[in-house]
Amino acid sequence: MENKFIAAGERSPEVDFRYDQNHLALRGEAYPEDAAAFFGPLLKDLSAYCETVKGQELLMAFQLVYFNTSSAKALMNMIQILEAAASSGTKVAIRWLFMEDDDVIREFGEDFSMELEHARFQLVQI
Amino acid sequence: MLAVDHYRMKADNHQHGIIFSFNGFISESILFALGDALKKKLSMEETDLRTMKRVFSVFVEQAQNIIRYSAETLAKDDQEINRLSSGLLTVGSEGGRFFVVCGNVMAREKAHPLQERLEKIQKLDAAGIKAYYMEHMKAPVDASAKGANLGLIEIARRSSEPIQFDFLELDASTTFYCMKAFI
Repeated sequence: MENKFIAAGERSPEVDFRYDQNHLALRGEAYPEDAAAFFGPLLKDLSAYCETVKGQELLMAFQLVYFNTSSAKALMNMIQILEAAASSGTKVAIRWLFMEDDDVIREFGEDFSMELEHARFQLVQI
Repeated sequence: MLAVDHYRMKADNHQHGIIFSFNGFISESILFALGDALKKKLSMEETDLRTMKRVFSVFVEQAQNIIRYSAETLAKDDQEINRLSSGLLTVGSEGGRFFVVCGNVMAREKAHPLQERLEKIQKLDAAGIKAYYMEHMKAPVDASAKGANLGLIEIARRSSEPIQFDFLELDASTTFYCMKAFI
């Protein structure tokens, strides 16, 4: 699958999905005008990509400073796709980065980690 | 009279601790611009990060609720992105805490289900709000929904006391709804 890079917008995160390195990252703020239009294609590609990396190592890094509820739902879908991949043999590691004092983002990380049984989850203060 | 009337309005807002008050048609681009001004204002006042993030989040969810659910709404070619909806959006501070108020006209038949939902959220404690949030975040996406259906719970989660809300029946088909959240 072709790598996907979308530069950060005023209200959308940087998407840096290096499929060739099994290294995916989302960085910045996420409250796009239309969350479904922004995240929909990414979720679709992520699902398709996960089918191709069985048994391999995959790292997904979330370095977000703010996201609205529509984006939170999309992030939950992303986490669920990654967990499904982990449960079928992909060695998935999720890194959730948060800034010191940012209890909102840290707590979201903790919430998302509750959904994971097979994927490895790391909460990282930056 | 022009100056007297408008100065009175400005002074009254100032007296009530209002940072800004928007009344009229709001779009996603206005949301962004107001949100940007709000972030800058809070940051210049050296508001702590925890408070800033909460005020901003409540502001975004309330603004998006107006855009999506106000009955006074206009969309071109059914494109959600260009939707303009009328409502009232106020951010201010009172007694050392920030507040965000939103108000809009809605269809009267939708007011009762909204009121029930708000009453349910209002009664939850912090753990209950978090559990309710998680339940909705995991629920499958409803194709007919304009958002994640999480906005009201997010507002309650970022508030330092239970949300306040009120309804005013305008006529047989419309109701004015408003909500105030203290951060």
